[in-house]
Amino acid sequence: MPINDALLNVGLSHYLILSALLFTLGLLGVLLRRNVIVILMSIELMLNAVNITFVAFSRYSPTANMDGQAMVFFVMTIAAAEAAVGLALATTIFKKFREVNIRYFEHLKG
Amino acid sequence: MTADSLLFFILAAMTVGSALVVILASNPIFCSLALAMAMISVAGIFASLNAWFVAGVQLIVYAGAVMVLFVMVLMLFDLKDEVRAFSRGLVSGFFKIASVAVIGGVIAAAVWMSTETIFSTAPAAPTVNATVATKQLADLLFKKYLFSFEAMGALLLIIAIGAVALSRIEGGTHADK
Amino acid sequence: MGRDSFEITVNIVKMFAIFLLMVQAVPILVWLERRGSAFIQNRTGPNRVGPLGLIQLLADAVKFLFKQPFMPERGVAPLYYFAPIAALIPGALALNAIPLSTPIKIEPFEMLGQMWGPYTFLFQGYDIGIGIVFILGISSLGVYSILLAGWGSSNKYSLMGAVRGAAQGISYELALSLALVGILMVYGTLSFKEIVDAQAGPLTFMAFGKEYVIGALPNWGIFYQPLGALIFFAATFAEANRLPFDLPEAEGELVAGFHTEYAGFSLLLFYIGEYGHMMVASALLATFYFGGYSIPFVSPEAVNAFWLAKVDGANTAAILTAVTHHLSLLVRVALFLWIFIHVRWTLPRFRYDQLMSLGWKTMLPWALANVVVTAIWLWLGHRT
Repeated sequence: MPINDALLNVGLSHYLILSALLFTLGLLGVLLRRNVIVILMSIELMLNAVNITFVAFSRYSPTANMDGQAMVFFVMTIAAAEAAVGLALATTIFKKFREVNIRYFEHLKG
Repeated sequence: MTADSLLFFILAAMTVGSALVVILASNPIFCSLALAMAMISVAGIFASLNAWFVAGVQLIVYAGAVMVLFVMVLMLFDLKDEVRAFSRGLVSGFFKIASVAVIGGVIAAAVWMSTETIFSTAPAAPTVNATVATKQLADLLFKKYLFSFEAMGALLLIIAIGAVALSRIEGGTHADK
Repeated sequence: MGRDSFEITVNIVKMFAIFLLMVQAVPILVWLERRGSAFIQNRTGPNRVGPLGLIQLLADAVKFLFKQPFMPERGVAPLYYFAPIAALIPGALALNAIPLSTPIKIEPFEMLGQMWGPYTFLFQGYDIGIGIVFILGISSLGVYSILLAGWGSSNKYSLMGAVRGAAQGISYELALSLALVGILMVYGTLSFKEIVDAQAGPLTFMAFGKEYVIGALPNWGIFYQPLGALIFFAATFAEANRLPFDLPEAEGELVAGFHTEYAGFSLLLFYIGEYGHMMVASALLATFYFGGYSIPFVSPEAVNAFWLAKVDGANTAAILTAVTHHLSLLVRVALFLWIFIHVRWTLPRFRYDQLMSLGWKTMLPWALANVVVTAIWLWLGHRT
């Protein structure tokens, strides 16, 4: 599509590309960072990217159904639950080792 | 439509910029604050998609509660700039970045090709009043997805109990050391 | 924003006017607080500068402006300087979303040799359909200014105050939101305007499908949601960090809490943020539970007819109608602001564990019970 058209008419593909970009950045964070909390935050980024996709599809679907927006609520619930457990784990690690590096997680077994 | 597209590009730039800070900043406090900024921008993107209620919930749940929790925990930890914020290893790092690039490329290509063929001509659905749209959403959540909704409630309860149990290991938060 | 240049200009000016209203009300409120506390404590208070000491705050503001700005040596500059600005944003955005009076209908008129078409100006910055959710979302961002200030100052007292403030903020927001759920259930809408409209006329109850009208009382939300109103009111104290919930800045323990390291103009911005929060809370309390800008037993049409008979010109009458309703709201807001001030100088501060157990073990269960009772009541009321 011509550049001018892509700049002026924001459509579904813009939102999907933004979402893909955000998801990839989140994945990069998960793979590269060592701090448990930053890894959790990168997972939140990925979940947000998925939410953008849901809402964008719901907006641009021909029949205007709201199912996509309903899905966002479930994703948000899961994200909040994941953050709560993740932070509780991180505090446990921190209380033991005074640091929240991912490599200390192997001491959690047993 | 120019005002709308300008708004979208500003919001998208804010989102991607904050996401970059999240994965690049070496101080976790800045990471969390940047993520809060990203959440607020994503709420703006939801609003630009006319999903007003979802945008409001995004502000309340993510920016207002989850991220505040993150920031607060990080401030209590009082971590300094990390000496080794990124995982080490040249070969594994190369493979990680390469795999991310492949996945990103696959997603982008899939998005690009599918929108070209399926959705490029689909116009946006007509916008409805925010209150009406919220009522439709409530109908879906409490009728069609009622079981999932209740299951989510049960999950949250279990998570709350689990988080409390986890943080009370070894004398809980008031252990004297 | 609008269809022509006049409408766009008015709408933009309106937003700034409401922001300035918030900022300009602060000196009056500070004066009221100092004189009020003096009255409660049997002192005189500031009475030298100007009549009744009213100019004192102008003098204080000038002093604040000319203080040397400084930053703690090991502070984090971007966070330290952004925190006071972040304190202003939630209050300003929230106050703009609340309808402060009836919409003004302007008939076509001539100006600069051109006819300007009929307009309808809302007496608020912008109308967002999901008003309540928007306000809740925006005010939940207020915690960040405290956190940024606490971390940016690089001071233990500041940090302790900030963490206390954040924990208190998210704890009491639960009770506050749940109290509002009752209002949402009763009125079945998220829009402020519809809530205010629904509170017009005499008190009307639905019970078992029949309607009961109590002519002596206005149709206010507090008669439907007394417990919700109480919980909302108490939670707003915690949200605004006012006594008895001002643990984030408890001066006996934390010097001055999160704004220990702030002086001069940035401290003033924090104060504006706090008073802005109080103003938003009072306006919300009036809107949800006390009829908003409506005048009890008098419809806006009657007020308009009254002004039409008094002055000539439909536009002047429309503006005067809106101003009358705005005054009606302002009376309530002023009353609630006085209650805020009176409570601050009457009640002692909670201990922190008492504050947390009040929030989680008392207010949250009662707010949940309020939701359940409201649901049962609505179900019974509309059953025939």
